[in-house]
Amino acid sequence: MKFPFAMLRDFVETRLGPAEVGDLLTMAGFELEGIEQVEGDTVLDIKVTPNRGDGLSVFGLSREVLAKDAEARPTELYERACRRFPMPDDGDEGETGAFASVTIETEDCPRYACRMFRNVPQGDSPEWIQRRLRQAGMRPISLLVDLTNYVMLELGQPLHAFDLDTLAGPEIVVRHARPGERLTTLDGTEHELAPGQMMICDAEKPVAVAGVMGGLETEVTPATMNVLLESANFRNTTVRRTRKQLGLSTEASYRFERSVDPDGVVAALNRFAELLEAVDGGASRVFGVIDRYPGRSDRQPVRLTLARTCRLLGLDVTLDQCRSYLSRLGMEVTEAEGGLLVVPPSWRPDIVREDDLIEEVGRVHGYERIPEVLPQGSTPQGGVSGVYARIDLLKDALLRAGCTQVVSHSLVGTSPLDDPSAERIGPKNPVSADAAWLRSSLLPCLADAARRNGAKDLWLFEEGRTFAMGPSGPEERRRVGIYAQGTLLPDHWRKSDPGRADFFAVKGIVEETLSFLGLEAEWSAGSDPRLHPTRQASVLVGGELAGVVGAIHPDVAQDAGLPDDCVLAELDADRIVRTPVEPRRFRAVSRNPAVRRDVAILIGKDVPYAVIERVVAEAAGDVLERQWLFDVFEGQGIPEGKHSLAIALQLRKFGGNFTDEEANQVRDRVVEALARLGATLR
Amino acid sequence: MPSIETVEREAMEAVAAASSTQELRELEIRFLGKQGVLTGLLRAIGQLPPEEKPRFGQQVNAAKARVQAAIDERERELKRLENAARFERERIDPTMPGRRWRVGRRHVLQATADRIKAVLGGLGFEYLESPELELFRYNFEALNYPPDHPAMDEQDTFYIDDQHLLRTQCTAIQGRVFERRKPPLRVFTIGRTYRNENVDRTHGHTFHQVDCFMVDEGVSMAHLKGTLGQFARSMFGSDVRVRFRPDFFPFVEPGVDYAISCPFCGGSGCAVCKGSGWIELGGAGLVHPNILEAYGIDTDRYSGFAFGLGVERIPMMSHGIDDLRHFLENDLRFLEQFPS
Ligand SMILES: [Zn+2]
Repeated sequence: MKFPFAMLRDFVETRLGPAEVGDLLTMAGFELEGIEQVEGDTVLDIKVTPNRGDGLSVFGLSREVLAKDAEARPTELYERACRRFPMPDDGDEGETGAFASVTIETEDCPRYACRMFRNVPQGDSPEWIQRRLRQAGMRPISLLVDLTNYVMLELGQPLHAFDLDTLAGPEIVVRHARPGERLTTLDGTEHELAPGQMMICDAEKPVAVAGVMGGLETEVTPATMNVLLESANFRNTTVRRTRKQLGLSTEASYRFERSVDPDGVVAALNRFAELLEAVDGGASRVFGVIDRYPGRSDRQPVRLTLARTCRLLGLDVTLDQCRSYLSRLGMEVTEAEGGLLVVPPSWRPDIVREDDLIEEVGRVHGYERIPEVLPQGSTPQGGVSGVYARIDLLKDALLRAGCTQVVSHSLVGTSPLDDPSAERIGPKNPVSADAAWLRSSLLPCLADAARRNGAKDLWLFEEGRTFAMGPSGPEERRRVGIYAQGTLLPDHWRKSDPGRADFFAVKGIVEETLSFLGLEAEWSAGSDPRLHPTRQASVLVGGELAGVVGAIHPDVAQDAGLPDDCVLAELDADRIVRTPVEPRRFRAVSRNPAVRRDVAILIGKDVPYAVIERVVAEAAGDVLERQWLFDVFEGQGIPEGKHSLAIALQLRKFGGNFTDEEANQVRDRVVEALARLGATLR
Repeated sequence: MPSIETVEREAMEAVAAASSTQELRELEIRFLGKQGVLTGLLRAIGQLPPEEKPRFGQQVNAAKARVQAAIDERERELKRLENAARFERERIDPTMPGRRWRVGRRHVLQATADRIKAVLGGLGFEYLESPELELFRYNFEALNYPPDHPAMDEQDTFYIDDQHLLRTQCTAIQGRVFERRKPPLRVFTIGRTYRNENVDRTHGHTFHQVDCFMVDEGVSMAHLKGTLGQFARSMFGSDVRVRFRPDFFPFVEPGVDYAISCPFCGGSGCAVCKGSGWIELGGAGLVHPNILEAYGIDTDRYSGFAFGLGVERIPMMSHGIDDLRHFLENDLRFLEQFPS
């Protein structure tokens, strides 16, 4: 809401300057958004929250200034505005009534009033009105249109002037549009109207979209002699629906959507008449007001208790202060047991219950007077626990493994790394093509991060939600993605193995991460089409699929603009953090020394190592503390289709030392068991 | 037979001339060992008159002690020289680059979220999360948005279908919590929110929010201010003050916009606070009684407060980041500027 400071001075005498009034309004809840010099005056731009339609007028904001600034005084104009600009013919329809009838056929129009003017002057409005409209950001058009806008700026009541001679017949009907009706609005657009849209009609047809915009045919022109001036009140939800359907938005609809004072309808007609007379010296003839007010309703009083007021605000205010603050805001206040009985004014539909009044008391009293107090009383458990603590642990493990965390957009375009098993979903109203979908996988996001950072060594992870259509509607799932390319350790002048990104490097990170969380993983060959068909694995946790690890498929790498030696993993974080962890029982630590035995075998490459590992463990029994694969060899001297594996066994007894012979017996058992898998000693 | 003095002098000269600890071991054996020269003098004791025997013995032992002391001293000296030579041989340039182990870095938004979690967790608030893909009901209806009200226009919403949208505010968690729990409760969440806005330096369609609320007996605006003050001082420094200004959010009554005194200039005005001395952080207020009542909470007995703020604002302020777009672009040249 933009207006020149001089307009506020018309309503309020205050010693405060424009910037100070801006601060005062800000602290009253009407934030000063801008202050600038335009054509010799200071223009204030005030943000009005959607619950306070009454703040969309200079008169309304003046009321706030008077409530907050105890030294400010109302002007004569303000007093007359409060009395609704009384005119001698109030209550007398006069010739307007003789000319026209007004019928309201919908509950969405609580009040409709109009006044007739004949022999109106043509031409422009006086310079001072034009200047003030320009300062408020409006375009001066003609005397009649400018006056409607000026009164709206002053009082917040939208007005519409019809060229009386273009209306068909002496009738105004407020009703919903009928199927097939059309209207060309004054912006030149022709609209096909639909039932439910509220229209102002003459005897034959719609002539204006109620509360939004007038029709082109009936608008005032330089040739207009006679005018029917409309001032009405329309239900906010209907105006909003209609203007959205028609794709229109005007100063009038903006105000109606946020509520306009129904009791100010006639006051605006009168103020218009008063200003017109001041401009043309009484040349035009003013006729009476037709006023239909079927929606009149008495406001229900709201009770304010002093105890609740003080308790919720956290400070002491007196009953006298409450009474004074609320009266200054135009409320009718009477004393009642334990507090006040308050009737909110017609322009404050937002006040319906006690806490609304408590806010008003606090606002005028000043929130700067509220002290800082820490809450007392019962404290439930604070902090991060349960699955949320497990998620933090999961991220921690990946950080410790050397992966850097990235955080990407969830609104994305299309990528060859999208989850092939997901039915993707996206917003119905996307902001752009590259944000038209919700990510179904974190891998496209990691690919973006990798491309952005170019040919570096990259070990990245992301934790976040992914989205897809589920069996009963759209669903989201928390995942973790990993991307690796290049070496794990930076190059160093003292040469040592820097660790390369390959399947086993990333598998190791996943293994370590799951183990960090106390979980055991099972691995099997995978079949994700985004990954290298023979270099990928599925990982199972608690017997359920919990992710994939693999080298990128070379074709996908090419399509996605990634190096074909990068390695990817994606884990189902929801499943992982919700998998129960077996409680751990303490196991005594043996103080006896361990012995090592190595087994080197030749075995078919089609025998999975996981099987070999299990057979070794079963054959060696409890004395096997640890086993690990320390060499794999194939090629020269090894038959086609086989490879040589060297496995170390670490054996330890509890309460006694292994003799050489006992250790050899364990090894022999292992060899024998492996022989049943087709292994031969090497 | 040589005199004690002669033998001692010979031993002392040899010790002084020794050039290695090995040589000293040999001298020790030669003079002080069981078959050593000095020890051998004691064997002549039998030929002495009885009255001289004790004195001679004492003299030999005293000489042995002096030689032993000289050997020990020389040994320490030699060790010092040997170490000095070794250290010179092993000298490195410690300013050469270290062998860097790769330790993963948290994203700057994660680091900020973790700080917030520590502070609010310490104030007794429990961390919970709720869906990003939210029901219209929780995002608006449950938060006291009147149907067809322009308040919803302030949050341009991404709709997925008739019921689902991308949450425009983390406050959407409140209805989900009130559904399951009874007061007293203190809860906060940190998460991703979406608004259908065009992207520029200060606007994005995706950003992160904190939402924090409590419901208990006698909760007041003063408790809200106290909690925000404590939170702000933990995050921004011990001198920070909180200011309330009336504002409107459908889910609070009274509703305020809260600002902190600028931690960078102390309130006198600087570039960060655009000269005002205050930095607006977010919205707050007392949980609207309509919401409490909708979830069967007795508003005569209980009241609550709620506040929210943007996560990105915090590192933007404290690191002077001037473009919101950096956060989700994952350029390591950006991310690696900030300690984890
Ligand atoms: Zn500052």
